[in-house]
Amino acid sequence: MGKWTRRAFIGAGVAAGGALVVGIAVRPGNPIDRLSPLVAKGEGEKLINAWVKIDADNIVTAIVPHVEMGQGIFTSLAQMLADELDADWSKVRILEAPADAKYSSSHIGREFLAPNLEVPEILEPTVSGSFLSLATAMTLQITGGSFSIRGTGQRAMRTAGAAAREMLIAAAAKEWNVPASELRAENSMILHDKSSKSATFASFATAAAEQSLPAKPKLKSPKDYKLMGKAIARTDIPEKSNGSAIFGIDADLPGMKYAAVKAAPVVGATVEAMDATSAKTMPGVLQILNMGDFVAVVADGYWQAEQALATIQTTYSKTEGDGLDQEALFTRYATMLDEAGDTDGDVETEEGDVGEAFASAATKVEAEYKVPFLAHATMEPMNCTAWVRDGKCDVWSGTQSPLMARKTAAETTGIAIDNVAYHNAYLGGGFGRRSEMDVIIMSTRIAMATQYPVKMIWSREEDTMQDHYRPSATSRFEGGLDKDGKAVSWSNIHTHLFDPQEAPTVPYYNIANHKIRKVDVPTHLRFGPWRSVDHSQHGYFIESFVDEMAHAAGKDGYAFRRELLAGSPRHLKVLDTAAKMSGWDNPLPEGHGRGIAFVPSFGTIVAEVAEVDMTGKKPKVTKVYVAADPGFAVNPDGFAAQMESSVAYGLTAALYGEISVKDGAVQQSNFHDYPILRINEMPDVVVEIINGDHKRLGGAGEPGLPPLAPAVTNAIFAATGNRVRELPLSKMNFA
Amino acid sequence: MRAIVRASAPILVIALAACGTDPAPGPTEQIVVREPGEATVPNVEAEDSLITIGKAAFNTCIACHGIEKGGANKIGPNLYGIIGQVAGAAEGFSYSEALASSGITWTKEELDSYIANPAAKVPGTTMMAGAITDAERREAIIAYLDSVSAN
Repeated sequence: MGKWTRRAFIGAGVAAGGALVVGIAVRPGNPIDRLSPLVAKGEGEKLINAWVKIDADNIVTAIVPHVEMGQGIFTSLAQMLADELDADWSKVRILEAPADAKYSSSHIGREFLAPNLEVPEILEPTVSGSFLSLATAMTLQITGGSFSIRGTGQRAMRTAGAAAREMLIAAAAKEWNVPASELRAENSMILHDKSSKSATFASFATAAAEQSLPAKPKLKSPKDYKLMGKAIARTDIPEKSNGSAIFGIDADLPGMKYAAVKAAPVVGATVEAMDATSAKTMPGVLQILNMGDFVAVVADGYWQAEQALATIQTTYSKTEGDGLDQEALFTRYATMLDEAGDTDGDVETEEGDVGEAFASAATKVEAEYKVPFLAHATMEPMNCTAWVRDGKCDVWSGTQSPLMARKTAAETTGIAIDNVAYHNAYLGGGFGRRSEMDVIIMSTRIAMATQYPVKMIWSREEDTMQDHYRPSATSRFEGGLDKDGKAVSWSNIHTHLFDPQEAPTVPYYNIANHKIRKVDVPTHLRFGPWRSVDHSQHGYFIESFVDEMAHAAGKDGYAFRRELLAGSPRHLKVLDTAAKMSGWDNPLPEGHGRGIAFVPSFGTIVAEVAEVDMTGKKPKVTKVYVAADPGFAVNPDGFAAQMESSVAYGLTAALYGEISVKDGAVQQSNFHDYPILRINEMPDVVVEIINGDHKRLGGAGEPGLPPLAPAVTNAIFAATGNRVRELPLSKMNFA
Repeated sequence: MRAIVRASAPILVIALAACGTDPAPGPTEQIVVREPGEATVPNVEAEDSLITIGKAAFNTCIACHGIEKGGANKIGPNLYGIIGQVAGAAEGFSYSEALASSGITWTKEELDSYIANPAAKVPGTTMMAGAITDAERREAIIAYLDSVSAN
């Protein structure tokens, strides 16, 4: 095995049956001393994980350290690996990596920095966000932050594929006694054109593991891509179409029972007393548990547990959240913003002198925007199955962070992590919700009490009322225009900042003086990352205010943004593409309007144009044009699907999404009062992808969302002259 | 297949919340209405064949094991053709070192003693479920596995 980087290098070994495995290896003496079961023992060096395996029957298995929650990542990551390997796609299989620290994001970042890639990117909080920064990613094996392709795909999957390919070629060169330069790989075969020799990868698998490795596996340039950039069908389509796909909620074990749960309606309260007189007599009931912060009923069936739970009378402790209503919360935000005045609060970015520039501006624009809390409303209800017995713990669920789930189960049960197994399945929607560990903790606590396996399923009501919410927030702006209508100052103060840190900033807009501040306002509801996280509100705030400035300047929203992006050709191209796709200058019928918005996030630049029909009782979004530059779309069909789904998810929030608080508790409980976009409300979505820089890949899962709401509200303004300064739109009276 | 609700009086357990941080607090109140008992096997009619019983019993295994020919491995390996195979043979499945190196050939007898208590037969196996105590149930599952593979 060849040495590669300082502490870690590409390693290879031979697994049972003569399979070649390639992954990260460590030299003797490295503190990471636990072996992968796949490892071949040799020279004291240890393979600590594996990204690819080539079996004796020439099947290539891509081992993917991310979870599949509908975003199609299994296929795209396998495409990246298989392309560099020159594998036959029909012989590629995909396996989700186990919940093991050896696959954690920190290994990708810290141990596996491929020298020929842009290494510092992973350390930039502006790229990966603090949510995924190394400090927090150290112990995580997380799928989120639109990170999988630009992180794992670029840094691990491609390099492993390229390394395996070079090793196979080296082995073939030795066996055939020809220079390696005369050999090539194609369709999982090694070919020697001069002698017309060919053989399968598998025939060199054992010998390949013995080859010394080049310092840097050479990655392909885009002209040589065979699989990357192709709209390859997702491998999970058949099983998700015929119903055989296994999700977390499908876990089934011998002797498994079901738990229904109800938590205190006000977060932070505890169950003071529980009257289970009726529940004890109901069919199927096995146990009734007061867990302090929630009540659980364990029964033979879920319905029985749910029915019995509904009869339990509970009283709760008093908390500081009691008596708090949504209006009071917004008043609290306003007071905090008032108190910060023109100078206080935490400065996030500052350039020039906004005070001076605003004071001397020819035109002054001011506005305040508000957004509500949002729930995730995943299709698959929150659930987790746990079995704790004899010093062992097994947990089955679908989570965005399998390793964290395993650690959480270990900490919750007090059982050593080596005796805790976490089994991940497909996620029926994540959107950030399944990066939280609450269901893992609750179900293992229940299972500790029962000692037999229990599947805990949340009702839709619990899901809606006990989520970790996108925060409600208020944002205030002051903008200055000179006499020519050019933006000269941009001042913003807003409540809350979670992640990504750059979400409230506008470095791509050429405005000489800008200052952005925040004030932290405590709320008792739990924060959770919600698809695109802080960009979800700041995209709306920023792009609404840009539109207001354009209007004040007497300019068209598209033309005004063009001026602001004049120095950034890559950004400008995305904006121009969206405008062109929409036929921006073509007139629309009376009562219809067109709006544009532009938000780069998670490494991908996106502009959207929405068309809205305001002639009915409520806004109808008829068309959404999406232009997006992710650097390079590895799977264009998958990328376009993420843009379309961001439109659906974002439009749901813009039209209806509102979680509000009354007397400390969430008021909404199910789809009747927390509606999801219906199919007849779905606009036509047209996506155009721009491959602007194949070396700097962006994400796909989130960046389509932030421009959607402001594109729609700007279109409403164009159609009606009504400026929407508070979401959701269902609150507005358009009559 | 519903377990019989027994008329036993509920047992009330009051436990104090655990001190310290580790592990998480148990219930402040635990009412055990009844134990799950063993009546989770379907009450199969006499004329049902062993394979039919085994097929129903295998429902508890399918969370982790596929059975179709060429089917994917899940949490556990695909079990098509398992009878007569050498342990660790399913393509593409990451076996524990313990099982892969066990040298077992899966005769019906070997399989029976394994699923009776996997961890006892092959210490270090990652198979967490299993431990099927009912011998007839094991026989039925094995008969079912054999019947599927024979097709």
